[in-house]
Amino acid sequence: MGYDLKFGWTGTVGRITLGATVAEGGTRKTSYQIGGGTTLPFLDNNLSSSMPLVALEICDNPEYWSPIIRRFCGDLVNSADDWAKTAETAYGADLIRLYLTSTRQRNFSDISSVGKTVESVLSKTGLPLIIEGSNEPRIDSEIFQKCGESGEGEKLLLGTAEASRYRSIAAAALAYNHSLIAQSPIDVNLAKQLNILLKEIGVQRDHIIIDPYTGALGYGFEYSYSAIERIRFSALKGDSDLAMPIICSAIDSLNIKEVREADQARQDEMAVQWEFYTGIAAAVAGAEIICVRHPKTIGMLKSAFASINKKIDLTGVK
Amino acid sequence: MALKALDIYKLLPKKNCKECGDPTCLTFAMKLASGKADIDLCPYLDESAKSVLGATTRPPIRLIKLGVGERSFSVGEEFVLYRHDKTFYHPPGILFKVFDTQSSEEITQVTKRVRDEVFTRVGTDLRFNGIAIENSSGTVEAFARAVATVEENADLPLVLISKDLEAFNAALIQVGSYRPLIHSATKENFREMCALAKKHSCPLVVKANGLDNLIGLVKSCGEEGVKKMVMDLCPQSLGDYLSLSTAVRQLAITRAVPDLGYPVFFDATHPNLQDAAIALGIVKYASVIITPPLSEESAKAAHTLRQNIYTDPQKPIQMNPGLYRVGIPGKDAPVLMTVNFSLTFFTLEGYLESSKIPCFLLIVDTEGLSVLTAVAAGKLNETLVRDSLKKFEVEREVSHKKLIIPGYASPLSGRIEEATGWKVLVGPRDAAEIGEYLHEEWNKLKK
Ligand code: B12
Ligand code: SF4
Repeated sequence: MGYDLKFGWTGTVGRITLGATVAEGGTRKTSYQIGGGTTLPFLDNNLSSSMPLVALEICDNPEYWSPIIRRFCGDLVNSADDWAKTAETAYGADLIRLYLTSTRQRNFSDISSVGKTVESVLSKTGLPLIIEGSNEPRIDSEIFQKCGESGEGEKLLLGTAEASRYRSIAAAALAYNHSLIAQSPIDVNLAKQLNILLKEIGVQRDHIIIDPYTGALGYGFEYSYSAIERIRFSALKGDSDLAMPIICSAIDSLNIKEVREADQARQDEMAVQWEFYTGIAAAVAGAEIICVRHPKTIGMLKSAFASINKKIDLTGVK
Repeated sequence: MALKALDIYKLLPKKNCKECGDPTCLTFAMKLASGKADIDLCPYLDESAKSVLGATTRPPIRLIKLGVGERSFSVGEEFVLYRHDKTFYHPPGILFKVFDTQSSEEITQVTKRVRDEVFTRVGTDLRFNGIAIENSSGTVEAFARAVATVEENADLPLVLISKDLEAFNAALIQVGSYRPLIHSATKENFREMCALAKKHSCPLVVKANGLDNLIGLVKSCGEEGVKKMVMDLCPQSLGDYLSLSTAVRQLAITRAVPDLGYPVFFDATHPNLQDAAIALGIVKYASVIITPPLSEESAKAAHTLRQNIYTDPQKPIQMNPGLYRVGIPGKDAPVLMTVNFSLTFFTLEGYLESSKIPCFLLIVDTEGLSVLTAVAAGKLNETLVRDSLKKFEVEREVSHKKLIIPGYASPLSGRIEEATGWKVLVGPRDAAEIGEYLHEEWNKLKK
């Protein structure tokens, strides 16, 4: 007896391109096509790109970063470009997600430094880049503009658009042909609304990645898990306003009680396990990009995804 | 396809003898109609009624109990593929695996750990569920000795794993009455294994490669008279497991293949991928997971993921609203307000206890929403705070009218003051800072 794991779905998760190689007009060593799923994650039988990607989150001002990572990465945290390079060569990340935490300083105004940071990170790594701009509406426009410009041709992924502030980031994405992250608080309908708003101002479907907001494991993750599943089903059922790939980042993982209060000698391990269990569950629910902050989580996730992606030949099951 | 309670009732013996565990045939019929009971519980059904009711009334996945006594647990009786469609009911048991080639000290240590270790989260005690003992030595004596070692140290649900009937016999003489799960019946040995399972009324793992073989074997074991089964899908990789368990769940809950309506067994012993296997098993339909003992870190993450996935998506874990005490607060003790989301309460309570300042905690009914969420949703507002202060008679407990509210509720501070006539103090956002805040601010105010 054969069995069908497609459950009669008709829709397809849209594809989006991250990064551009020299042949594609950029300077990246690799570029990725993500999305394209036609059934539940990992159950597609002949899809080359259905493995989730793992992004390492880094920043340009470590003052705002977890002490666990500052300790683990040492001096690297003081130079975003070397950190990014190490993420590629030693930690094995698929993507870099750069948070411009320097812009969080009070009255930040040195916009040109942001451009320099983006350029130096791009020059030291061949991986596609995700950039998280400012946290401050006042400077959003200039910051995103600068990021967009500095990464022109590289098919960046810019973050993060929310219902209350999406115009500056959308403008930068449109002007320089980058994609963007659209975040809504753990709710399918809000995710859809935001995508419609973005569509109305001209951002194409194949330039949007949904961030459903990921609560840390034990601190709201169960809601995020179900939101991811539901977004995926809506896509498979044919709702084109939700048929985008999903990015997941349980940012608070390193601040939660279990990690914060772990024995110092075991803190890295606790952080890694917390990120790892969250990452596996999010990927199985439907996330195409899993972001982590601890370098040691990367390899673990990648080998797990490889094993989960190893499928039986369904036609051979008799 | 589903029958209504009354249609079912018509087919029942109407003896109202209670032997099914229900007070009347009608209440039993109602349970059957909602898929919450198995017709086999009524001993007086005739064959024709059985065949009509048969597959349409029993839960699409049978409920199987492992072990006896306090630590026993039940799995199965699930109805949905996605938790947001309803909820997942029975969290998987996670059992630590020992080998009969290990020393009795090692086996004892693992057994005691499962017996004693508790991880308390959100007011709930989380534990591992039992011990799986594998006959890796291949000898009868070593297996019997290992089982005896576990048994001497704890009354825990067990899984016995062997290929040798003699070894099972020797083990079951000792622990047969504790209903261990025995692993496993295969197409070669199923008659003997079924006889063994029936003799000791143990649940039986049925193991076959490929769904058709599995369905065939489940049928055969059923014909041998075994009702309590758990299925080992023999996955070769984690991807294999995911495909098979998803297919099995789907075919079972839609009743397309009623013979697959049993819980799934999953051995998470995969070199370097053990945590991945456990996480996958938890989210994707495993009911009995066995694994070598986990590190403290993996253990906590696994417990938490299991707790998260198996909470009801419609109902956050909640506290009863009311006035709670931390320590023995006096008339001049601070009053802190918070929401009735359990996670919020227990997080806050933990920090308050370590601050060593006795206080009152006013829990208001935000329908289980956290502070920020409740503020965003408008569920936390001045009227609620005013009514709660009144309802729980806070004024009778303290000699002051000062209320400390969560930092995240600061936008409401003015309105709460107006509505209640209490002075509102805005506390820190992060509960971790509450001790310091109370020591400085509250003590300053008292002077
Ligand atoms: C899980 C979650 C949900 C769950 C609900 C979970 C629940 N039971 O509350 C769901 C998915 C249902 C949800 C819904 C919504 N959510 Co929501 N949600 C979250 C999330 C990820 C975690 C919340 C949580 O569990 N926190 C943990 C608990 C323990 O925190 P807490 O209650 O605040 O308690 C802490 C402190 O406040 C303090 N504290 C507590 N009590 C007291 C008392 C005193 C005296 C003091 C001093 C301190 C103190 O101690 C605790 C530990 O530090 C947050 C993001 C985040 N990181 O906070 C968003 C978040 C709160 N949600 C948000 C929003 C907007 C919503 C919605 C309005 C959106 C929507 N979908 O329509 C709805 C509203 C609910 C509704 N209409 O039903 C926003 C709020 C934005 C804002 N700043 O106002 C957030 C911040 C996400 C975001 N970044 O956009 N949400
Ligand atoms: S056991 Fe059968 S006859 Fe007796 S009360 Fe239950 S349903 Fe009725």
